Amino acid sequence: MASSDHSRLTARLRDWFEQSWMFIAFFAGFFLFWEYSVVWFDVPRYILVPPSTIVTKGWADIDRLLYYTWVTGVEVVLGYAVAVVLALPIGLAIAFSTILRRTVYPFLVCIEMVPKIAFAPLFISWLGFGLLPKVIIVFLVCFFPIVLNAILAFSSLPEELTRFARSTGAGPWRTFTRLRLPAALPQCFVGFKYAAINATVGAAIAEFIGSDQGLGFYIQIVTGNMRPDLAFAGIFFLTLLGLALFGLVTLAERLLIPWHISVRRGAH
Amino acid sequence: MPHQIELRDLTKSFGRGADAVDALGPVSLDVAEGEFVSLLGPSGCGKSTLMLMIAGLLPITQGSILFAGKPVKGPQTDIGIMFQENTLVPWRTVRGNIELQLEMRGLPPADHAASVNALLASVRLTDFQHRHPHELSGGMQQRAAFCQAMVHHPRTLLLDEPLGKLDAMTRESIRSDLQALWLQERRTVVFVTHSIEEAIQLSSRVAVITPRPGRIERIFDIDLPFPRDFDVKVSPEFTRYTRAIQEIFRSYGVL
Repeated sequence: MASSDHSRLTARLRDWFEQSWMFIAFFAGFFLFWEYSVVWFDVPRYILVPPSTIVTKGWADIDRLLYYTWVTGVEVVLGYAVAVVLALPIGLAIAFSTILRRTVYPFLVCIEMVPKIAFAPLFISWLGFGLLPKVIIVFLVCFFPIVLNAILAFSSLPEELTRFARSTGAGPWRTFTRLRLPAALPQCFVGFKYAAINATVGAAIAEFIGSDQGLGFYIQIVTGNMRPDLAFAGIFFLTLLGLALFGLVTLAERLLIPWHISVRRGAH
Repeated sequence: MPHQIELRDLTKSFGRGADAVDALGPVSLDVAEGEFVSLLGPSGCGKSTLMLMIAGLLPITQGSILFAGKPVKGPQTDIGIMFQENTLVPWRTVRGNIELQLEMRGLPPADHAASVNALLASVRLTDFQHRHPHELSGGMQQRAAFCQAMVHHPRTLLLDEPLGKLDAMTRESIRSDLQALWLQERRTVVFVTHSIEEAIQLSSRVAVITPRPGRIERIFDIDLPFPRDFDVKVSPEFTRYTRAIQEIFRSYGVL
């Protein structure tokens, strides 16, 4: 048993490597090119530094980086969570109410056209340098993709399933729990994932505009001090933060809708 | 024999006023209890519209439908329906999909386990009951959909081209399954199809529908013995019915 598990693991690792080695080689090649081109072309250190320097200098400043990752992470998670909690019921209500679909829905579509990030300076001036304006800006860039996808999700049950439901005489609640909700989840996750990508962007820009801590603040300060090495280290941790949120959402998707084709194919 | 379904001067128009398009009718038809009636016609002739109106899923423009003696005013529930796109949901197994019909009706699946098992066995899906629809072939999916449409023992089955998307060989095999089920249980069946051969093979009567607007041109009593296997399909009588129906469609420029 143990040996067959072991051989299956080896086989899976081999499959994975066969599919991925070119990508890994390309990635490694990219960083090698970066590392040595900075030396070959004699790029000044205040413009660009090689990856090895980013690692060593970043490691020297790791305490500050980790603390700011935590600060930005809190903004991202709070803004994202509030967006999910508000957008889902609102999307649901719009999908099921003709009045809301003719009033609130076009309003949301118009607001969606406005680049939300342009509001950031206003929120900072209204609410100060603290946590709240950042959470609001993250919320704004996450709310729209979630709500618009939720509206689409809850209003697009295939016609034959609607007819099937009516032929059973089931009430709206039973139709919702047994058909509409599970059928809507894949499209909802499109919004969740898109919002997860937006979230770190929103937090970083909010911090650029006005803050005294966080990764966006850090990147701006060290760039002003001619330290691209530390700026790249900040970008690296911001990327990690985004990946972690996206990974959590993908994990939730796998657990909740393992039957869906996007999960089965492993495509994202 | 009592009439299960009675259609009286039924018409259906889409649109309003000057733009209204007459899609169907007037159509009158009686379907007796236990009968297998096919609505046979080319695509766009209104046969699916007719079936949806019988199910109470599409409003009637004029005329009336009586279902088991009562006028159809809204969705009928003592029916099992099937469409070309099956109503299996991807997040449930085959068995779960069959039980979905029961759950939607507030019937506890545990009380009906025996009848679910029997249905699964009758279409040879017992070994696949814990698979999800995407793991099955198209033919197996439609057989599972048959079980879903029948598990609550409806008195009437309304089937809208349930075999429409299958390849010829699979169609053949599922037709015999469908016929065996019907012979065993004798439910009333209204079967929408555009296959002449399929209609003659399965039905006790075939209503030939011609297009624009859809009307019942002629009703054929198919006087051939059941079960109708391959031998019946190559018999001279079968060919005679086929010819007669082809003649109608040819005169309308459909064939």
